[in-house]
Amino acid sequence: MDRALQQGDPAIATPRARAPREREGWLALPLALYFCLFFLAPLALLAGISLRTTPQLEGFGLVQYAKFAGDPFNWSVLWQTLLIGVKTVALTACIGIPLGLLFMDAPRRLQPILLFIIVLPLLTSVVVRTFAWMVILGRDGLVNNALTALGVITAPLRLLHTELGLVVSLSQIEMPLMLLPLISVMSRLDPHLKDASAALGAGRWRTLFRVTLPLSLPGLLAGCLLVFASSVTAFVSQTIIGGGRMILMPFYLWQQATTLFNWPFAATIGMVLLVAVLAVVTTLNALGRRSRALVHG
Amino acid sequence: MSTPALTRRTLLAGGAVLATTTLLPRPARAAGRIIAPVYPGPWEEAYRAVVLPAVKKTQDVDTVLTPLLALDQVAKVKASRSTPPFDVFLLDPGPVVVAAEDGLIDKFDPSRCKNIGNLQKSFYDDSGVAVAAQIVGIAYNPKKVERPKGWKDLFDPKYYGKVGISGFGTTFGTSSLIEISKQYGGSMTNVDPAFEQLKKWLPHVGVIAQNPVAVNTLFQQGQMDVTYTNYQTVSTLKGRGVDIEFVKPDTGPIAFYTTLHVVKNAPNKDNAYKYIDTVLSTEVQAALQKPPYNLLSVNKNVPLQPDMPTDLVKSHAELASFIHHDWRIIAPLRAGWIERFNKEIRQ
Repeated sequence: MDRALQQGDPAIATPRARAPREREGWLALPLALYFCLFFLAPLALLAGISLRTTPQLEGFGLVQYAKFAGDPFNWSVLWQTLLIGVKTVALTACIGIPLGLLFMDAPRRLQPILLFIIVLPLLTSVVVRTFAWMVILGRDGLVNNALTALGVITAPLRLLHTELGLVVSLSQIEMPLMLLPLISVMSRLDPHLKDASAALGAGRWRTLFRVTLPLSLPGLLAGCLLVFASSVTAFVSQTIIGGGRMILMPFYLWQQATTLFNWPFAATIGMVLLVAVLAVVTTLNALGRRSRALVHG
Repeated sequence: MSTPALTRRTLLAGGAVLATTTLLPRPARAAGRIIAPVYPGPWEEAYRAVVLPAVKKTQDVDTVLTPLLALDQVAKVKASRSTPPFDVFLLDPGPVVVAAEDGLIDKFDPSRCKNIGNLQKSFYDDSGVAVAAQIVGIAYNPKKVERPKGWKDLFDPKYYGKVGISGFGTTFGTSSLIEISKQYGGSMTNVDPAFEQLKKWLPHVGVIAQNPVAVNTLFQQGQMDVTYTNYQTVSTLKGRGVDIEFVKPDTGPIAFYTTLHVVKNAPNKDNAYKYIDTVLSTEVQAALQKPPYNLLSVNKNVPLQPDMPTDLVKSHAELASFIHHDWRIIAPLRAGWIERFNKEIRQ
């Protein structure tokens, strides 16, 4: 109870704290400059190039956007890209939530080791991770060899260069991004709430669905947001594991920029992807705010 | 015993010292340096082992090699024309046209290379000079499939599910698809028959790869047993113990030349010519042609025999009889082909 008071009650934020905070704002200036120089300026440049009419960077107008919108192929590329993100988020959440609960129930001594295992995918290079997945999913790969040895299948399954293979490998690669926020929220939950729920007659499942999960929602949503944004733009994994028949926005952008040298159209693809991802992220964020209100309101 | 605490002050001081070291003058260099891009993988290994020491020894110039694929080189120079990040281009015929059209290549002056006399006249023009020949054909895994004979075999039912295809993104991919098209009534400018054939065959596809690096890995992983590629790639993989053999298609193999060019506004133009001259020299060409590098020489004094297998190519005269594609005609059509390939092969 006292914990909820500390976080939620505006009365706690004293006026005394406000004055130094205003001065401390200046400390963020170098970061702000850094962002302006290395993030906002290139982004403005990208937007500027997307408004050029020809690959030779002449003219000015919305020609590239019209070209993008006018071809159903482009829409299906965008749709498939976002769908891959949604599927990855769904799978990551389905595996992440039980893993998070397991982590919370693990003995305290084990938790740092588990945390290390969770973060491990982030510590390996993206290229190594991706090529490892090629070895796992390939025709002579681990999965196929194991299934053949067990007599489950006679001919190797097609796993590499499929959407299923891509979603499975992406969810392994992005798992830390889901688990870290989830665990940080779960570990702040008051353990007494579970006991209270049990004392009031709720079973374990009911406690899970009515108490633990709703209270973990902010962490889950933050995780979903990170996993979505990062799986939608995972160029290396998408091209290597997805294969040549799966054309997604990052590859499409790369092809236009470095094979065809159509920079304005590449910039347009980039802007469209940016806006689409931002739209999804903003929606998730709004949901997140509502869920926080649910928790602390 | 007290452990030294890491205070803010020591941290800042340490940081400042680290920052200043980057500003300190570098140790004096030799007569100068050159920054040269090279294809990642076998090319890089070959140039690092052979060209780098030769340029240092004969010209007293330090070479900085940057591994970059051809189109990436063009993109990098295009992005900073006035201060290009390197002095020479190493390109295949397709990207040469792109770079030349964009005005990124300096006029090549053959008289500045002593070794130019060792080359046939057709190996250089006012844009650049050939440094290695490439042969494109079919690669297969002899342990798993029968030896294919020609382009049409790629679509033969006995290879269903085992053939890997790559698109128009690379020179070898484009050349191969043109030759496939010719088998079904097409030509260098008409690849429609290749597309029709691909469409019919797609349900039996083995793999479609998006970049040349992926092609090699997919072959090594047993994901495909037949594909089209360069002879040099095959010989490199074979040298590493991969079960792979090269076949000259029955309708004739394709030959093209990888070329060096001086980049417009290159910061070390004189050294660029010294570098190119060294690459063309008899010693360097001979060393690059030997296994494990297998880069076919362009120098008259370095015969292709006995380094190359006799059933591949016997002489420079035979090499000249292989199929050559005119990239000045192909290049403008390629964007359309790439977009069509995207659409037709997409799941």
